[in-house]
Amino acid sequence: MTTETATDQTTEQPRGLDADPVISVRDLETHFFTDEGVVRAVDGVNFDVHPGTTMGIVGESGCGKSITAKSILQIVEAPGRIVNGEIQYRRQSGEAVNLLDYPANSGRMRAIRGGEISMIFQEPMTSFSSLHTFGNQIDEALKLHTNLSKDERFELAVDWLARVGIPNPSQRMHEYPFRFSGGQLQRAMIAMAMCTNPKVLIADEPTTALDVTTQAQILDLLQRMQEENDMAIVFITHDLGVIAEIADEVTVMYLGKVVESGPVNDFFDAPLHPYSRALLTSIPSMFTGSRERLPSISGSIPHPQNRPSGCAFHPRCQSFINGVCDIREPNLVSVNEEQDVSCFLYED
Amino acid sequence: MATETTQNGNDPKTLLDVRGLVKYFPIKRGFFRRTVGTVKAVDDVSFDINAGETLSLVGESGCGKSTTARSIIRAYEPTAGEILFRTEDGESIDLAQLSLTEMRPFRRQMQMIFQDPFSSLNPRMNIYEIISEPLLVHGIGTSDEREDRVAELLRLVRLRPEYMRRYPHAFSGGQRQRIGIARALALNPRLILADEPVSGLDVSVQAQVINLMMDLQDTLGLTYLFVSHDLSVVKQISNRVVVMYVGRIAEIGTPQELFDSPKHPYTSALMSSVPKPHPSQRSKRYVLEGEVANPANPPTGCYFHPRCPFATDQCKVEVPPLVKSKDGRYVSCHRADEIELTVN
Repeated sequence: MTTETATDQTTEQPRGLDADPVISVRDLETHFFTDEGVVRAVDGVNFDVHPGTTMGIVGESGCGKSITAKSILQIVEAPGRIVNGEIQYRRQSGEAVNLLDYPANSGRMRAIRGGEISMIFQEPMTSFSSLHTFGNQIDEALKLHTNLSKDERFELAVDWLARVGIPNPSQRMHEYPFRFSGGQLQRAMIAMAMCTNPKVLIADEPTTALDVTTQAQILDLLQRMQEENDMAIVFITHDLGVIAEIADEVTVMYLGKVVESGPVNDFFDAPLHPYSRALLTSIPSMFTGSRERLPSISGSIPHPQNRPSGCAFHPRCQSFINGVCDIREPNLVSVNEEQDVSCFLYED
Repeated sequence: MATETTQNGNDPKTLLDVRGLVKYFPIKRGFFRRTVGTVKAVDDVSFDINAGETLSLVGESGCGKSTTARSIIRAYEPTAGEILFRTEDGESIDLAQLSLTEMRPFRRQMQMIFQDPFSSLNPRMNIYEIISEPLLVHGIGTSDEREDRVAELLRLVRLRPEYMRRYPHAFSGGQRQRIGIARALALNPRLILADEPVSGLDVSVQAQVINLMMDLQDTLGLTYLFVSHDLSVVKQISNRVVVMYVGRIAEIGTPQELFDSPKHPYTSALMSSVPKPHPSQRSKRYVLEGEVANPANPPTGCYFHPRCPFATDQCKVEVPPLVKSKDGRYVSCHRADEIELTVN
């Protein structure tokens, strides 16, 4: 059966963009110390996430978007290490803390990770343990983050499975993940992330592995959860269509750096950085004519180890200024009240 | 069997005419590997491809689009059906009836491009060896001639011929996909089966490969059977689109027809699920509830009826045939002529 759900975000002002940010990332640098040398996967990233809104982080493979997300929760795998920066987080209690002051495996970080800040991952198939029943895995999260009794935890988990639209939830609690379809697993993962009532949900490409119809279900679900819980979402994707559907603000990354950030409407109406503009025109859309040539971006993404000098995008850039872009690195500067861009076209 | 299909079988423009294609996979269980059921991956699929056009198969994962393409090239043995291929002399040959030896000359005329440019090239072979292998297998040319041909093919896909002694690891995803295209073109095929050829690429590189495929089609007169789940890419490249659902065809039409005025409720739901390209177009989202039917245990009647808002009692028992609707479109829905569908 089908339902129609209104997502009337365009008519009203997105909530909370004027409110104080719940997360402020400042000068974040996460490097990977490999045998071949240091890879600066995240190289000075700044952005704010406001309560009740969705921050979309856009970028292609190797741009550091997933590592940025993992850095927030301090779950970057070795040989990666956060070497610099601050992640200011306003706790449920109103107290502001720098998450990087807490060691990754400290009790305080664990209380936040999966509790106040939850994360859902790209591959629902590999994100669950295949050796434990689904019920056991969701119970683990609840045991860690709530003081509920066993029965209460079971009831809460069943309630969440029902809310994300999984049929026969109490029976499915006793089943192993292989019995779930991809879409069901992704919804189950959302239930698991949501059951601790987080203030911030980090979603790393949660719909990339799914079909469009399932993607629409998941986006719809995330938006409903956001409205009900006034939760902030950090949504990581390479799909600009998904950004157009759900983001309030956009941060575009290229090779570890933020190249542009601003409100979603400004990004689509007046993209500033040559990379953003090229991305927006080179992607096929259902709404352009068929059998037309697309303007394409020349070249491909450089290997992070062979980072081009100056602005990392300069070898592929249409607006490349010889002697400037290949020598100096541009800084992220404000162009107007809302939009920031890191490009010499906008520097004096 | 479909009562009336898209075919006008004797039309000399038709390069490939697939009629009633069926592919079932047995489900085997237990020590003696007894067959306990079948997965109806492709279940009575009929369509035709004209020379020089791009026909796309679209649908969700598990709808049988890849199995259809692989059955056509006989990578899978079709369970039933006809695969009529028009030879260069204008003769129509049923590929499904040929033995594997008889199939060989036709294999040259049909080549595949695969999804993953990382696993579809042998890392131990250099680019010259990869692209010249089809020539070697079919015993074409001397070693010098083959080298010239490889250089020509590399120029065709806009790679530098000097790179032919390099190994795949030295190339990016987009370049590897172009090497895969060069290999497919080595034998001058007439039909290219491309299975998700841009899905594994970064979005900034997809346009390069799509443009290249369209240019090659124009210069070499290629015919494409394009398999993809990405409706935007399909719209970009296709002349006609076949929408599949659980092994059967829901609807056939031009991209514009399917998008502007879908006739099958599934097409309409699929098109509505595609994210809108601009935040100002956020509106009511039409969410298709439920899960794709299981092809090992499909529902009765129309496979789509449990998810269809227009389903009647007839839909629950009777399989709708793929028929020509009043305005000349092909759709398999009992109510195609009564219901008004839009994409929102």
